Amino acid sequence: MKNCLGIVNLSEIDNNFGVLCQSRPTSMLPFAGRYRVIDFILSNMVNSGITGIGIFTGNKVRSVMDHLGSGSSWDLDRKINGLFLFTPTYDYTATYKRVGDLDLFYQNNSFIKYAKQEHLFLSKTYMLANIDLNEAYEEFVESGADICMIYKPVEDINQAYIGCDMIHLDQKGHFESVGTNLGKNKKFNLSLEMYFIKKEIYFDILFDAIEKGSANFLKQALFNNLHKYSVSTYQFDGHVSCINNIKNYADANFAILDSEVSNDLFFKHGQIFTKVKDEPSTYYKSHAKVKNSFIANGCQIDGYVENSIIFRGVKIEKGAIVKNSIIMQKADIQKNAHLNHVILDKRAKIGAGVTLIGEPNNPYMAGKKASIDKEVL
Amino acid sequence: MKEGKMIAMLLAGGQGSRLKLLTKEVAKPAVPFGGKYRIIDFPLSNCSNSGIFDVGILTQYKPYQLNSHIGIGSSWDLDRRTGGVRVLPPYTNEQGGRWYKGTANAIYENISFIDELSPEFVLILSGDHIYKMDYSVMLEYHQEKKADVTISVVEVPWDEASRFGLMHVNPDMSVIEFEEKPKKPKSNLASMGIYIFDWKALRKYLVADEKDSNSSNDFGHDIIPKMMNDGKKLFAYQFEGYWKDVGTIKSYWESNMDLLAESNTLDLYDRDWKIYSKNRHLPPHYISKDASVVNSLINEGCRIEGSLYNTILFNEIRVGKNAKIVNSVILSGAVIEEGAEVYNAVVMENVIVKSGTKIGTKDDTIVYLVSKNKIIES
Repeated sequence: MKNCLGIVNLSEIDNNFGVLCQSRPTSMLPFAGRYRVIDFILSNMVNSGITGIGIFTGNKVRSVMDHLGSGSSWDLDRKINGLFLFTPTYDYTATYKRVGDLDLFYQNNSFIKYAKQEHLFLSKTYMLANIDLNEAYEEFVESGADICMIYKPVEDINQAYIGCDMIHLDQKGHFESVGTNLGKNKKFNLSLEMYFIKKEIYFDILFDAIEKGSANFLKQALFNNLHKYSVSTYQFDGHVSCINNIKNYADANFAILDSEVSNDLFFKHGQIFTKVKDEPSTYYKSHAKVKNSFIANGCQIDGYVENSIIFRGVKIEKGAIVKNSIIMQKADIQKNAHLNHVILDKRAKIGAGVTLIGEPNNPYMAGKKASIDKEVL
Repeated sequence: MKEGKMIAMLLAGGQGSRLKLLTKEVAKPAVPFGGKYRIIDFPLSNCSNSGIFDVGILTQYKPYQLNSHIGIGSSWDLDRRTGGVRVLPPYTNEQGGRWYKGTANAIYENISFIDELSPEFVLILSGDHIYKMDYSVMLEYHQEKKADVTISVVEVPWDEASRFGLMHVNPDMSVIEFEEKPKKPKSNLASMGIYIFDWKALRKYLVADEKDSNSSNDFGHDIIPKMMNDGKKLFAYQFEGYWKDVGTIKSYWESNMDLLAESNTLDLYDRDWKIYSKNRHLPPHYISKDASVVNSLINEGCRIEGSLYNTILFNEIRVGKNAKIVNSVILSGAVIEEGAEVYNAVVMENVIVKSGTKIGTKDDTIVYLVSKNKIIES
């Protein structure tokens, strides 16, 4: 993978997450007790041997910078290659040119141009998986194709992938076209929005789209031009969670309560790395009762917890009940509080005796640092 | 000399032979403690929390795991452009190779290392103790008292006092007498093996001590008594808080159990004084619908389907259905299979306790050390 440069674009649609994405992009959503969504694609790249990674941060920069830092958690604080961050720039360029992400890719052209790597790996973060990119890359190089798209054959009974890209293959299994899933077919090939592309083809597409004004987004430009190039595909068969709305986000979290899913996501092709917090072990006190839950370090639990995901440093006091909920970092759930189908963002405080009940498909959500002392009905 | 500068020298070469199999493969400072740490994490975290960023670590006994644990010190923020952590093993010179003969000799052999850093004060630490302490406060005290040596002491119960090196002090805390493990103790202030020396003074004594062929080259036995005799100013600095020398299997087990007691005073959850350790990047632990976990500490990567009471689990431990673990410490990677029962035990790394096995009983006063091949009673 030495010859491949990783590029992750964090500008994703984040208006489907209510309070959770008020100050963070989708890629920074806390996940599975101690991770952020972005940790998965970063770890996949690092585990596969991609050592140079450029990240287009999108607008909600603070959260991104805070999490990534120098990249040391992913071993990306390097002299050779390493982590590069590209934030949006504000200048006197006409606003219409700054619609979409294409202009930003162009502005940071030299990063890609002067990199030694001849291939690019382009990805978003919201398709969460533990994937061996090395295998995909080798197939791409061997095939001699200009572009390789990664997909997973899915059976979408719950219509979780509405609006996602779908890839169509011909009878021989060759790439035919790419479109948007509207839910007509239950079985289809879900695009993971991960692409390998030859660097010169990337530039062709980028410059062409800007000069002709034919696209605002890189993906749009890419899809418009697919017919001109040879496109190969790589089939992935592991677990994929698509984090594109609250429902899917909650389901993706609860999915890890299944040991097959958690083994796949956390161990299959290497570990998932994240920012280290140096929390001590979790302390279960004398009234603790915990069933079917995933619990991170640094918690102090004296209450009842069932079917829940508990992040680092959460306190659950005596008599409190937490069911079917996602409780993020450093939340404080006081005596006899009762939570069912709730998502609490970081540092939320639920006062003694407070009852919060959401619905399975519509969880009750409390934003960052929310402090709830009275009943909310 | 850089005025006011203090460096730490951490003695981490000891075997800790009374810990038996626990130190068969690792030096005592590398012995796991408290569900996620190694003993050396406590003094190292104390150093960085106290703002001491020059730390020399003296290694000798089976240093491999210790070295890989320390690495370049990044876990404790001790990977620095100036200063940082340095591992100092014994070395050879024109006269051949020498092992460290004693605690004082280990520092003597590294005089040139310390001279290079040119500190005003040297803090001598041991890698064997569990405690949280702000060394910068001790330094202020040392400077205030204009002492040549400050020795950190802790109050111990009178009936145990004769196990320790004791400081007999005046009301102003200046040391009258130092006794190593006396039969009839005059004081219950035990030396914690933590010293602050003025480097210039210590350097002279180290050089003289090396020339003395009768010396055992030890701080407690030789250097401190000699300085006392010479009328140097020795002060005791009284430490309040949790401090434990993990000497034997039983005290190792006890000090782990201390963390689960209601009276526990070693607060690991204090965000202003975190204890840092090497991070393994493991996912959170999972507790199944059949499990029961009461008064226990669990670390990352575990999968619990059985019942735990008063127990500390390190990382990546599997506990099968209907397995029962009581009053025990289970080290990383161990598997307690379905239906197995473990009472009052320390189960070592990667040990598999097979289904149907029963170790100890509910009312045991003995502690069992369980390794791959045998069980030692203690």
